[in-house]
Amino acid sequence: MTCGIVYAPSYLTHEQSSSHPERRERLSYTLDQLEEEGIFDLPQIRLLTPKPAMRDDVLLVHTKEYLQFLEEASVTGAIIDADTYVPKGLIHDALLAAGGAITGADAVLNQEVRNSFVLCRPPGHHAGRSHGAGFCYLNNVAIMVRHLQQRGLRRIMVLDWDAHHGNGTEEIFYDDPSVLFCSVHQYPFYPGSGRFEDIGIGDGKGYNINLPIPAGSSDKVYRYLLEEIILPLADEYMPDAIAISAGQDNHFTDPLTGLALTAQGYAGLMQEMCILADSICYGRIIAVLEGGYSVEGGLPYTNLGLIAAMAGLDISAIREPEIYREVLEKAVSDEAFPIVIKMVTDLKKKLADHWYFIRQYDFR
Amino acid sequence: MFTGIDIGGTNTDIAVIDSQINTYKVPNTDGLDNALKKISSYGRLAISTSQPLNEIITGHPADIRTITIPGPGLVYPGAVKGSVSHRGDIVEPIDPEEIKKIMKGQHARAIAIAGKFSVRNDALEKQVYDIVSQFYSDEQIALSYPIGALNFPARIHTTKLNARIKGKVASLIRQIQRVNPDFFFVTSTGGLTSPARALDNSMLLFHSSPATVANGAYYLTKHENCLVIDIGGTTTELVPLKDGKPIFETVVLEGAKTMIQAVSAMSIPFGGDSCIRSDLCPFRAGSSRSFGGGEPTLTDALNVMGARIGDAERSEVLDHTTAQNVVHRYLETIASAVKEYHPEFLIGTGYLAHYLLSDIAERAQTVGIVPEHAASANAVGAAVSKVSLEVHIHVDSERKRLTLNGITYPYKDTRDEEHLLSYVTELVRDIARKEGAPEEDIEEIEVLYFSSYDVVRGWRVTAKITDLVLAIAPGISVEAL
Repeated sequence: MTCGIVYAPSYLTHEQSSSHPERRERLSYTLDQLEEEGIFDLPQIRLLTPKPAMRDDVLLVHTKEYLQFLEEASVTGAIIDADTYVPKGLIHDALLAAGGAITGADAVLNQEVRNSFVLCRPPGHHAGRSHGAGFCYLNNVAIMVRHLQQRGLRRIMVLDWDAHHGNGTEEIFYDDPSVLFCSVHQYPFYPGSGRFEDIGIGDGKGYNINLPIPAGSSDKVYRYLLEEIILPLADEYMPDAIAISAGQDNHFTDPLTGLALTAQGYAGLMQEMCILADSICYGRIIAVLEGGYSVEGGLPYTNLGLIAAMAGLDISAIREPEIYREVLEKAVSDEAFPIVIKMVTDLKKKLADHWYFIRQYDFR
Repeated sequence: MFTGIDIGGTNTDIAVIDSQINTYKVPNTDGLDNALKKISSYGRLAISTSQPLNEIITGHPADIRTITIPGPGLVYPGAVKGSVSHRGDIVEPIDPEEIKKIMKGQHARAIAIAGKFSVRNDALEKQVYDIVSQFYSDEQIALSYPIGALNFPARIHTTKLNARIKGKVASLIRQIQRVNPDFFFVTSTGGLTSPARALDNSMLLFHSSPATVANGAYYLTKHENCLVIDIGGTTTELVPLKDGKPIFETVVLEGAKTMIQAVSAMSIPFGGDSCIRSDLCPFRAGSSRSFGGGEPTLTDALNVMGARIGDAERSEVLDHTTAQNVVHRYLETIASAVKEYHPEFLIGTGYLAHYLLSDIAERAQTVGIVPEHAASANAVGAAVSKVSLEVHIHVDSERKRLTLNGITYPYKDTRDEEHLLSYVTELVRDIARKEGAPEEDIEEIEVLYFSSYDVVRGWRVTAKITDLVLAIAPGISVEAL
């Protein structure tokens, strides 16, 4: 399996302010790790250089007014919300991030690589049609999804496993059955949305799946959601490609969130997704980096784990160093699992009309 | 006075340069000691030893036990406990009992020890070394941290190769130091290194011949853009020069990347000693008949065609037609390889260049010259080279740690990038000075890479991490110009 890694040193240049958590340091240790592992010398890996997105690509998702605002704000500077400023020159970095997602998707569709991982900054999943939010400006994944559809793919599944709800992506595809949006996120938490009751509207009803989970949710919870919802959902939907909003702030060392996934858990999730993609959509997975703020104890190991899984490498030694064991023990909550089981039962009732895999066991 | 020695496949070349250039050739059969006797202990001595080392590298696979300390990440063979993080912190200790168990009853010829991120902290590799050294001598143990740069798999591979040749390098050092205690080795990029650095990373000396040829040809002709054709006893090497410098490429051995850069060269397995059986053979079977060997060679064929190299009468066992065919075949082979480079100009070096270069140039539809002392251009190149270095530096202002090629140096709190740069530049100069480089050669320090970023904890910038790659480029010593 060849895994394309979309990366350019310019992905390090974006900076909202010198001390903002969505910072250059996020990728620096990861790159050290990848370089030290000799990742780019492996025959299973191909380094892809991102091309900036075109205005037309962006306009498939965002409004003209919003794009214009970003372009102008990139000259003057502006504030979108308490955590999201528009630093000068932003638009170049934002277009390169969205363009990176397109580069990764094109390489997959052109069969240059089997799947791809876009190591871009800034992230995108909180950005809606006409607004940015939560460190995000352009919705990289949504733009990539629309680009793929323009190239002829019909159905695309978006799995958003960032610890925060992907409210921007949800908004964009809420009424659209051609995009199955499925988000696993800490709840209640920023940005406040992401209730399991929100299943889409109009034609899109049933094609928006929220999986809110409590703080302390561990590998076990994610594995359960994967087997109980995500895999059967994908099997029934039969997407032409799977996009993953790969936020890595569910790692147990993340300072901004309260989830408790491990690097091995991440790698395992991705491995399952790759096996799934192999069976339903020619292995087409495009993973795009979203959040993730545990720069030292998390990101180097989770990013490596994801790439190893996507490239078909041995993931048995993907883990954090021993010094984090205590942190993990504190982060995991035993109360999380029963809450998640209850949530899944309720969600299934809500979705039974829309999905046969639920209906066949009759939950009503 | 500069003395250069290149130990080739057939002969050892010696060049002594003071007000004039003198060159000598000594057959390898006489032994290195005899060659060393011909030089005085006065002045600077640089030795290119690629041939004896290449023989080991390309020879039988050696029995090397590799101990890796990978910690979390991808899977590596030979793994033991212990882990250094990307910040250079020891995050998991080694288990001494585990190492001892490996060493007990160990019968490998040498041991390679490589830890992930050891270039940011060498402590774990050294702890393993301490245990291994109870069972093996220092000359049989190679560590990965002095290699300096990130890339664990390539470092493992290079360390294994280092373990294979370290013993030979150590014995060469002892042999040479009996004559000249302060000598230099020539590296694969054509720079010079102290024996101590060569012991730490022996592969630096791999395949140094093309580099010496490149430096020698440039020194003798000052031609900046050309193709050097070095016709030796065993092989013919094509070395392109661009702006007076050879081109560098990463050495790939046994199908895997090493951490070694070497001069780009095409090696064609025909030289003056290539023997003639029914046709010209791509190997040597002793010396040419004209130098007392048993089987006729390319050199003998040239003698039959009218040259007078050595005892030409002994070459007469070949008939004229065979000789003509063999020479023709050689010229065609070389000329077609030369054409691939589309050279504007050829420089011939090596002891047969005088006899063959004009014919090669004609067939390759270009022109060329054979400079004076061309026969020993490699030794001239060794003599005039300068000390060169490439160092990878990692500075972490939070840990107050500065590592330079894996070795911890005193950290200095520097206000800004400029001060940091001038501090580390001076460190590099000091290393080169201690190795014996003259001031003129270390004035210019190249910054090949500079990257620095802030460490942010809780919405505050708490520290700065900087990575640099600095180099003193290989080339010709200012003193020799």
